Amino acid sequence: MNDRRFALLLMLPAAAFLAVFVLWPLARFVYDSFFVISPFAGAPREFVGFANYAAAFASEAFQNAAVRTVVYTLIVVIAEFTLGLAVALLFTALGHRSAVFRTIFMYPLMIAPVVAGLLWRFLLIDNFGIVNELLYRAHILASPDQIQWLSDPNIALFAVALPDIWLTTSFITLVLFAGLQNIPGEVVEAARIDGARYPRLLFSIIIPLLRPVIAVALIVRGIDAARAFDIILIQTDGGPQGSTTTLSLLIYRTMTRFGDPGLASAMGTVYLFVMLAVAIAAIMLIWRPGSTAR
Amino acid sequence: MNPLETRGKSRLILWVLLAVTLILYGFPFVYLLLTSFKTPLDAIAVPPTVWPEQWTLENYVSALSREGVPAALINSVTTAVISTVLSLVLAVPAAYAITRFRTPSGRVFIIAALVTRMVPTIAVGAPLVEIMRSLGLTDTSFGLALAHTTISLPLSIWLMASFFEAVPDELDEAAKVDGCSRLQALWRVVLPVVTGGLAVTAIFAFLASWNEFLFALLLTSVRAQTTPVVIANFQTQFGLDWGGMTALAAVYSVPVIILTLFLQRQIVAGLTLGAVKG
Repeated sequence: MNDRRFALLLMLPAAAFLAVFVLWPLARFVYDSFFVISPFAGAPREFVGFANYAAAFASEAFQNAAVRTVVYTLIVVIAEFTLGLAVALLFTALGHRSAVFRTIFMYPLMIAPVVAGLLWRFLLIDNFGIVNELLYRAHILASPDQIQWLSDPNIALFAVALPDIWLTTSFITLVLFAGLQNIPGEVVEAARIDGARYPRLLFSIIIPLLRPVIAVALIVRGIDAARAFDIILIQTDGGPQGSTTTLSLLIYRTMTRFGDPGLASAMGTVYLFVMLAVAIAAIMLIWRPGSTAR
Repeated sequence: MNPLETRGKSRLILWVLLAVTLILYGFPFVYLLLTSFKTPLDAIAVPPTVWPEQWTLENYVSALSREGVPAALINSVTTAVISTVLSLVLAVPAAYAITRFRTPSGRVFIIAALVTRMVPTIAVGAPLVEIMRSLGLTDTSFGLALAHTTISLPLSIWLMASFFEAVPDELDEAAKVDGCSRLQALWRVVLPVVTGGLAVTAIFAFLASWNEFLFALLLTSVRAQTTPVVIANFQTQFGLDWGGMTALAAVYSVPVIILTLFLQRQIVAGLTLGAVKG
């Protein structure tokens, strides 16, 4: 047996698994989007072509959910990147003695999103949430229920993003910290000798040198944020007044509660292809074959 | 020493800044732990207090003795273990083939695996309900573990490929000269070198299953339900029992956090590797 055959043989089990449990379900999902399906198992289905897609695009709920998904993703990614970079620079500036603190900082990564969502709901809850109470005691708020984090439709989308930011800022920090360790010392020293101050150093040298690492971290986080489900479901269940219903929640609800799997599949298919297109474009831009050790 | 390291007086300011950040960052979970030791009434007192007035294990006793809770904890462990084993068994040979033989099919496969990570969970989850039904795996830990493996397998392949990449090809060559078959070279020579990497991959596969919610919600109902689903159902089923909920959340989170502290070096390696490579 030649190497090529042997390699195929070794990859076969994993490939077969992904084909059966990812590709096949996805194909069925896309196929279902062309039918009107009764929510009861075994009930008749009717081929309707692109009618579900037309219905999806015409649906205000779908348009709003798409916008919310984009806004949510932007909130999460921008907040995480800003905080994550700041903390990574802090750790780098403090050197190896910050190691213990890096470990402590990492702990939210191990917490289930459901637990995080629940915890933050508890922290932000209107009448006995500790966040408002502490803000009140610090004289930032005039009364402990001044901000209705999760029940004010105007700010709920920001509030539900908090646990996501809390959970995974450490991830961005760790990745950027690892990147910062590889910045060549001579470049930084040379810039310092030329009189560059810290902001200049940051924007002209550090960030450009970190570009590939930053890009990968942002893509990974962006994709995960765009798929967020449990964290939002547990905090607001999409409310108040649908202000936190992102695509994942809308599709789930269309499928289970409103009992329209065909329409849900059409919405999900659009979502799927947009995600894949964005992700593949991003990979192509960053992942330049031959530019790294691989 | 890193060129961006600071010396002198500004160090003190930075340490203070770091301390403040860590306190803010650590507070939510500390508050959860403290609440879990309050009496159920104190847990929802208005205005809320940080420190328990009276320490009690009441919430733990009531949460853990609730119908379905012990079973859910066992289900979580069972599902995560099955999914981890499955993920490693499938990922190790695939990753080895991708890094050792560098065939075009290998390159296509690793990118395809990466793309799998970008699929919305709901798009796989909904049809999986049907597939599990036809396989007779509805509401079983094994069925859920299969679903969880769709998440952990792509990541496992990427991680293992990175670890294999770090092992020089000469090692396999030497093994073959010594009379090992290609499979024996993998099993007896290369795999023992990457046990650290294997551990990292196992931790990530375990955590992916341990924390997963949507598949568990769609694919289980009574017998195979995992803890995240039970935690999510707490409020509706038992009224507003924040004390019990914080206790169960603590039971579910503290062991993995402690495990992580012990294994933090490996986990950081995995996180940064997984991210930088994809």
